[in-house]
Amino acid sequence: MASSLSLTPFNFRPHPRFSPPSSSSLPRSGRKPAAGVRSEMKIYKGTRIREQRLTEMIEQKVAEAKQVCGEDETSDECKVAWDEVEEVSQAKADLRLKIHHLQQDPLEHFCQENPETDECRIYED
Amino acid sequence: MAASSLSTQTHFNPTPPKTHLGLFNQNQVVLYGKTTTTTCRRRFISCSAEDKTVVIGLAADSGCGKSTFMRRLTSVFGGAAEPPKGGNPDSNTLISEMTTVICLDDYHSLDRTGRKEKGVTALDPRANDFDLMYHQVKAIKEGIPVDKPIYNHVSGLLDPPELIKPPKILVIEGLHPMYDARVRELLDFSIYLDISNEVKFAWKIQRDMAERGHSLESIKASIDARKSDFDAYIDPQKQYADAVIQVLPTQLIPDDNEGNVLRVRLIMKEGVKYFDPVYLFDEGSTISWIPCGRKLTCSYPGIKFTYCPDTYYGHEVSVLEMDGQFDRLDELIYVESHLSNISTKFYGEVTQQMLKHADFPGSNNGTGLFQTIIGLKIRDLYEQITRTKTAAPLEATKA
Repeated sequence: MASSLSLTPFNFRPHPRFSPPSSSSLPRSGRKPAAGVRSEMKIYKGTRIREQRLTEMIEQKVAEAKQVCGEDETSDECKVAWDEVEEVSQAKADLRLKIHHLQQDPLEHFCQENPETDECRIYED
Repeated sequence: MAASSLSTQTHFNPTPPKTHLGLFNQNQVVLYGKTTTTTCRRRFISCSAEDKTVVIGLAADSGCGKSTFMRRLTSVFGGAAEPPKGGNPDSNTLISEMTTVICLDDYHSLDRTGRKEKGVTALDPRANDFDLMYHQVKAIKEGIPVDKPIYNHVSGLLDPPELIKPPKILVIEGLHPMYDARVRELLDFSIYLDISNEVKFAWKIQRDMAERGHSLESIKASIDARKSDFDAYIDPQKQYADAVIQVLPTQLIPDDNEGNVLRVRLIMKEGVKYFDPVYLFDEGSTISWIPCGRKLTCSYPGIKFTYCPDTYYGHEVSVLEMDGQFDRLDELIYVESHLSNISTKFYGEVTQQMLKHADFPGSNNGTGLFQTIIGLKIRDLYEQITRTKTAAPLEATKA
């Protein structure tokens, strides 16, 4: 049963640590999600499936690249294979960024209009 | 800015079906342009400001439209940038009130399978349709909506096009914004994000090490394999950029290879229209500044600024450099108060913008600082351009 009401709204919220501003310290730059920002985030099943698919693709493409480059490291095929690895790694990183830092589920709008589809069921961890 | 009642947003829809992805006849563009100017002369409100979109180019290897630079840039103008509502969930486009960010990967002429067959990487110009890129960017610049293709990074396929309405500011982000000379001519301002190899390696490790498929070797192999194409096709665009943000390992910590502390250089071309380079204390002189001391206490490794004139690929430039990290809010404000020509509208605006995205990478070092400052410079550039456009028709009506 789908419920689209539990998703957080799109508006980017200011970091909770900095309202109101004071001489508090800045967080270390890093890729970890900030504390307290992502805790209530629920994501759609379709998005979770996509994440898993990308993870599998990374593994698969890295294996493929190693195999192709094993034969000839300077060939075009080798370059293309690693380029694909880069593309898929970046796609996965972007999806992670969207979900965890920005709380923008890519399926948000689609699911608001089609809450009954299988992809739009809320993924329960 | 006066919202003109003679809206220029008529969708240009040639009679053949949309399979040609938004291409149109050159004649009809000219005609459209003429109509606008004539109508404007008869009216006393300046409406041509609405027609022309300001176009910014950003060359970056870090994916499209989702990078922190883009988010900082769009947030300077207010509002969060979001993917187009109701469209393809894998769209790379970001839209906010004032800006639209287009990913140049959408102009791939070959999808993933096609590139594999031909043996070309995405970095290769042969994988991109520069004609389409040029025509569409030109159309948007002139106020004509286009049907832009979508390159789906998950499936590796080219998806059906999405409609892009001309925004006030169009940002084209990707690997080749300055590669094609015609597209270069359309850009009102261009930026190149130049990440050194060591930093790139460190960032990719942070990005990919958590992935099951990756190891240190695979990450290194991926960077090395792409390097030759990158150096041949992407890197030369540096010389055309109005601003280059160069990210290097720090010089403050010997043998630091974690890439946590960074040395960031903002290389700004002199003589660019509507763009006055940022400077420290005295324009055109050479300054070395360590803000930490009696008035400001910094923790290790501290902060060091340098400013000097230089030449870069044969052009006169000014270089502002920051090495180190901000640890506290008051350090950021202190630094901001000593920089000049940062085009802020109020004291502390840079700091405020940095805090808005405090959990993004680079928020405590030169990358976040210079990206934010460039965002403010672009806002200033935009306001100058629109002011000039409103002035011109008013002059014409007075005559």
